[in-house]
Amino acid sequence: MQAVRPAWNARLIAGGLIALLAVSALAVRLVQLQVGEHQRLAAAGVETRVHRVVLEADRGVVYDRHGVQLAGNSPAWQLSMLPAALPADAVLRQAELAQVARLSGVPEPSLGHLLLSAPDLYAPVTVKSGLSADQSQALAERLPQLPGIQLDPLPLRTYADWQDFGHVLGYTNRLNANEYARLKSLGYLPDETAGKAGVEAGLEALLRGRNGWADVETNAAGLPVRTVAEDPPLAGDSVYLSIDAGLQQAVGQYLRDGIQAAGVKAGAALVVDPRDGQVLAMVSAPGYDPNQFTAGISAAAYQRLLQDPAKPLYDRALAGLYPPGSTFKMITAAAGLEDGKLAADTVLPCPASISYGGWTYRNWAGYDMGPMNVEKAIAVSCDTFFYRVADSVGDMSLANYARDFGYGTAPRFEIPGAQAGLVPDEAWQAAQCAQSGAPGCRWNPGETLTMGIGQSALLTSPLIQAMYVSAVANGGTLLQPTVVSQVRAPGGEVVSTAHPTVISQVPVSPANLEVVRQGMRQCLQAPYGTGFLFRNDRFKYDGGCKTGSAQYGGSGTNLPLHAWFTFFSPYDHPEIAIVVVVEGGGEGHDTAEPVAVKVADYYYSHRDQIRAA
Amino acid sequence: MPPSASAWRRLDLHQALTVAALLVLGLMTLFSTSRADFSSQLGGALAGVVLYVAAAAFDYRRLTAAAPYLYALALLMLLAVEVAGHTAFGAQRWIRVAGIQVEPSEISKLLVLIALSAFLARRETVGRREVLLLACLGLPPTVLVLLQPDLGTAIVFTCLLLGLLFLAGAPRLVLAAVLGGLAVAVPLLPHLLRGYQKRRLQIFLDPAQDPLGAGYNLIQARIAVGSGGVFGQGWLHGLQGQLGYVPERTSDFVFAVYAEEFGLLGSLLLLALFMVLLYRIARAAALAPDRFGFLLCAGAAVIVFAQVVQNIGMNVGLTPIAGIPLPFISHGRSALLTDFALLGLVQSVVLRRPLVSAAPAARVTLTESGTIRLPV
Repeated sequence: MQAVRPAWNARLIAGGLIALLAVSALAVRLVQLQVGEHQRLAAAGVETRVHRVVLEADRGVVYDRHGVQLAGNSPAWQLSMLPAALPADAVLRQAELAQVARLSGVPEPSLGHLLLSAPDLYAPVTVKSGLSADQSQALAERLPQLPGIQLDPLPLRTYADWQDFGHVLGYTNRLNANEYARLKSLGYLPDETAGKAGVEAGLEALLRGRNGWADVETNAAGLPVRTVAEDPPLAGDSVYLSIDAGLQQAVGQYLRDGIQAAGVKAGAALVVDPRDGQVLAMVSAPGYDPNQFTAGISAAAYQRLLQDPAKPLYDRALAGLYPPGSTFKMITAAAGLEDGKLAADTVLPCPASISYGGWTYRNWAGYDMGPMNVEKAIAVSCDTFFYRVADSVGDMSLANYARDFGYGTAPRFEIPGAQAGLVPDEAWQAAQCAQSGAPGCRWNPGETLTMGIGQSALLTSPLIQAMYVSAVANGGTLLQPTVVSQVRAPGGEVVSTAHPTVISQVPVSPANLEVVRQGMRQCLQAPYGTGFLFRNDRFKYDGGCKTGSAQYGGSGTNLPLHAWFTFFSPYDHPEIAIVVVVEGGGEGHDTAEPVAVKVADYYYSHRDQIRAA
Repeated sequence: MPPSASAWRRLDLHQALTVAALLVLGLMTLFSTSRADFSSQLGGALAGVVLYVAAAAFDYRRLTAAAPYLYALALLMLLAVEVAGHTAFGAQRWIRVAGIQVEPSEISKLLVLIALSAFLARRETVGRREVLLLACLGLPPTVLVLLQPDLGTAIVFTCLLLGLLFLAGAPRLVLAAVLGGLAVAVPLLPHLLRGYQKRRLQIFLDPAQDPLGAGYNLIQARIAVGSGGVFGQGWLHGLQGQLGYVPERTSDFVFAVYAEEFGLLGSLLLLALFMVLLYRIARAAALAPDRFGFLLCAGAAVIVFAQVVQNIGMNVGLTPIAGIPLPFISHGRSALLTDFALLGLVQSVVLRRPLVSAAPAARVTLTESGTIRLPV
């Protein structure tokens, strides 16, 4: 007995063969994909899933000399999108982008542009960083309905009290194309943030730290699942400035008050320690708010800053160049004494004017002030006295003494932008003439006279002035200025501590320098001194000063004046040097000196705090 | 007439075991990517087994009379989708019956198969007349699913029509004419296709065209399959599937997830299982006691074959993306129940096969145990 055999007909068999053929084709294709292309496709899978994200190092914090935080990192959020995780449907995608645009304030066309220019569909594209609390909260609430949109914490650089600290601290911002090309070799990323001005720029190498990276595996929605490999970032060093925050704010306030009282717009003030070159305070007015740069400044706001006639972005304390006016007279005096054209007891007249080469050169006072020695000439700032001294010293020698006191060289300084100013003499004039080719171009000997009172083509910056006054105060040591007192690693250990850097010893004998110092002391204390505003019962500290009212804007009489005031104190073992300039502020004792009086007052009334270890 | 207890022993156990193996692999794959889909599929599988046994017990021959009504039911359901269907993936495929989502295009595969087989079974030969009539029967459901638009099911219907004509013994000339007609019709298809279907076809030809949109599916599926390698990433360890990069990873592209986790060996095992299944169905056809049974089984083989080739083909980039479930593997209860019913009917044919080779005079039935049962 046999079971029924299947009745295989030809068509069934043919159908079976067709099926076998088709399934074999599938098998061949599977071998091709799973064996032949396995490595390529597996790598493509890893590339799809795993993305290297840069772990940006925490930027070093900037403190004042006592540890008051001036620049730090506050929590903020960064909005980014993962192109591959956005809705595949064009209509849904457009609707989502419209919503993101509304919530983030980034215009919709920019979002579309970012999306189109994305090099890798599976790598997040930064849309906006430093989102406001409102924006990030609004986005965070809707995030579940916004596939492909991510919010990640990204600290926002924030700065204290912008009016007083803006120029010193500077700001950070994303690199532009040129900067990136320059910094690429240092491992910067195309859209990385770096210091652009102030200490942020000058100490970038310390503050930046070292970025790390992580290879993060994400799911199709762009959410991280796990970290495959990681190189943690190393935070930047903390910088303790030599600035005293309280003094800085006081200087800022007094300077702005002084500028306002003078009815002008701009000025700068510095307080320097003449013993080590450390800057205790440094303000340029008007200032700007660095916080608006880190949050991403709008083009319109940036244009307003650039076009403001008061130039708020310009750091006058180290880049502002002005003729020094009478504050230069200590150099003329030292040159005369050192070159033997003058002795401490040489008495010269101080007429209302002198004639020289057919021109009349006037004193600031319209009357004869009587014969006087060099100390009194400094104290009363007699122009005609110094015309005579300058003439006998000669332009070349006078210019050399100016250079010895730091003129004509941009100080090396942690904040970029310090200017060199200008020291004119015959050699400089010859070079100028060779360039211009103007007939009859030559050094006019009268220029030597006006250089003697800090005019001619002389230009100096408040920072150069501060180091010059310090050199006079400390007995002739020209120091390199510094704004940093200490650098600490993220762990707190001290990396480096500032120590005074001596540039040179000025070639003036201690005795001669002492004569100059005495002149400054009389300026402060003698009944005839121009520093008379200091003479009150409250201010009982010894020291020295010099006013300056520097003509600018051409030659002739009745020109506008920049008001200068330079000061050091105490007389023995000076510990502060103050320089104030009020742009277009008129007479030094009118507008610059009152600022310095208040600053000196503040210093001595807070001396213990400022000098606390 | 329900089969007697002894008749059950004629059940094609090989087919049942093959289905069980496919089901297990399918459930494992679903478990790997979606517990929710796994649970619902498990429920569907339990219901499916009941349906399978019921279909096997049911005498398929009684379907001949019901065929016109089943055909009408299929058309009605497909029309209902047009009228009240829910939108899914840009296509109307679902209707709600007593609170349950039903996918009529899946069920209609079975109903249309029964209708066409019953029609052909009544004819001794297949000539031009039959071809025309068969086309008239096949066209309405095909057009209706195309309108949804469900390109995948339309492809299955087309394969079913061609397969039935071929296996029913249509003369070669007639077959050649039909194929020629199709060759003319297919180039017109792009004009009939809806926007997104046309796009899918273009993307199939060049996936890089739209890596974010439709091409994404193709690229990601291919990456998943290729990542599997020879031995696979291991069950529950296929990252492309696990992390959601494979689109529609429990339905249309479940094979990519399977291939990533089980590798080439797993893929070939699956192909082998489908070949065994096809062989068992074809064998049932060869054993069928009548023309209707033969056509029913042959058509079932064509349906399974078309779905396997189209689904795996699109997963590996050999055929265009046209959503179609992989039998017993893809998540989808309508499809799963339909497949169980289909194979249950094949078992019904097997159960009713004659036991001895034609000994027409003595209508004697042989039981497996060897005893002779005389007709009453």
